[in-house]
Amino acid sequence: MSAQANASASIPNARRTLSAARVRRAAINGGVFVLLLACWIVAVRAFGLKSYILPLPGDVLKALWAGLAVSITDKAGFYVPLWVTLGNSALGFLLGSALGLVLGSLMAEFRPVETAIMPYAFALQSLPKVAIAPLIVIWFGFGNMSKVVIAATLTFFPMLVNSFTGLRATEPERIDLMRTLSATRLETYLRVKLPSAAPYIFAGLDMGAVYALLGTIVAEFLGAQTGMGVTITQLQAVSDVAGVFACLIVLGATGVLLHVGMRAVERRVVHWTERSRS
Amino acid sequence: MSTEEVGATAHVPTGTARPLIEAQGVSRVYATVSGETVHALGHVDLRIADGEFVCLVGPSGCGKSTFLRLVAGLDPCDGGRLALAGHPVIGPSSDVGVVFQTANLLPWFTVLANVSLPLRVGAGRGRPAPPHQVQELLAIAGIAEFANKYPYELSGGMQQRAAIVRALVRDPKVLLMDEPFGALDALTRERLNVELLRIWQASRKTILLITHSIAESVFLADRVLVMSARPGRILREIPIHLPRPRTLDETPAHPDYVRLMTEIRGLLYREAI
Repeated sequence: MSAQANASASIPNARRTLSAARVRRAAINGGVFVLLLACWIVAVRAFGLKSYILPLPGDVLKALWAGLAVSITDKAGFYVPLWVTLGNSALGFLLGSALGLVLGSLMAEFRPVETAIMPYAFALQSLPKVAIAPLIVIWFGFGNMSKVVIAATLTFFPMLVNSFTGLRATEPERIDLMRTLSATRLETYLRVKLPSAAPYIFAGLDMGAVYALLGTIVAEFLGAQTGMGVTITQLQAVSDVAGVFACLIVLGATGVLLHVGMRAVERRVVHWTERSRS
Repeated sequence: MSTEEVGATAHVPTGTARPLIEAQGVSRVYATVSGETVHALGHVDLRIADGEFVCLVGPSGCGKSTFLRLVAGLDPCDGGRLALAGHPVIGPSSDVGVVFQTANLLPWFTVLANVSLPLRVGAGRGRPAPPHQVQELLAIAGIAEFANKYPYELSGGMQQRAAIVRALVRDPKVLLMDEPFGALDALTRERLNVELLRIWQASRKTILLITHSIAESVFLADRVLVMSARPGRILREIPIHLPRPRTLDETPAHPDYVRLMTEIRGLLYREAI
């Protein structure tokens, strides 16, 4: 009885030390945040910076509030442009990652495909791909299509490289196992190679999600009806720097949410790796 | 203690019957990345009868694993004749189950999905898969309670038991085992040796097992084949007439046990120098 009581008493103890570590970490993070804000305010005051160069944090917060505290259908708020940007990013992301996975798989499975595509894949991989955005706008116009195409292009390459690398990194022993079972190529691909490559593929998807958002914004800078890129250029045109900062905060938060969401999906799908159990 | 108990009679290979595995002058050459040619196997001759338990021992790099891969149909012979049940080996066969050096379970499948994988792919597809038979094998191997666990939730020994069940699930004639217990601790290894003998006696498979451990080979085998250094060939064939069933208490105490170990060790040491 008393042993049981002791055992149950030791668990909250362990929990307390865990939460103590958590409190310490939160304190450090909060401290750094407050310090950065203080530096920001001091810099504005000390150098007498005008609000159209660097606004005060309070002004940014006001602009953020003005953008968020509106009806979700209000064209002056952040929701409508964010929705358009996310929609185009998501479509481009899906297209780009699907194409990257398919071509990466074909390259990993068939040597001639690898030989044919590898030099171009590597050459294009080292090209800063946002530089082709103007061309894509010429070909696909200022509508949603050009945004989707640019987002897809940017997502495509990390997916191609990662899925190819991951599939080729399959442990030879696992392939030998499938050979001893006279498994078909497709069976080996689906049951062994694809799951083996899953951590690589998820790293590619994680990168791709950020790139898709980046590509869409860049395309919107070049010209669009609506979208966060449009909102930023409009605010820039009237020197509303606080508004630009508010947009950046919204985009930053979106990026973090995408990353966290992707990690959560990865943890569920690729549950067997060390990374997902830590 | 009588050695003539039921089920305790030693498997005496019948020299007249056609062997299940037959190698005549089998050789294997491969080229390294730098272009050198390596003679992995010299000229291997052996015959293994149906139901026999044969261990292959030899110095590191002598081509034991290479030979096993040839029998498994994973690599082609470069010379000689290799036949399984009278048919030349031209590729992997459903009559052969392979247990690898590591358990080699797929971490994304549960134990049950792993051990029944052979029934879902390749030649096993479309075959009526009796689920009770898989359960039975899991029970024989002592891992029935882990069926729905993932491999990473199992100890190394339990994982290797699952790998043995997977190799048996298509009911092959031959079980090829490539240092299956090499990565395990000594105690687990001894326990699995006993388990393996039990499974072998229950299933009447023909087993060819590669090992580094002289003690393991003497404990398990009907016959120990000692291989030479590279290019590997069979140096000596040593029949092990220790009574069965063999146990961890009685078998090592048998007067012949130490004599056989010494004999094999002598052969191997001569090769290693």
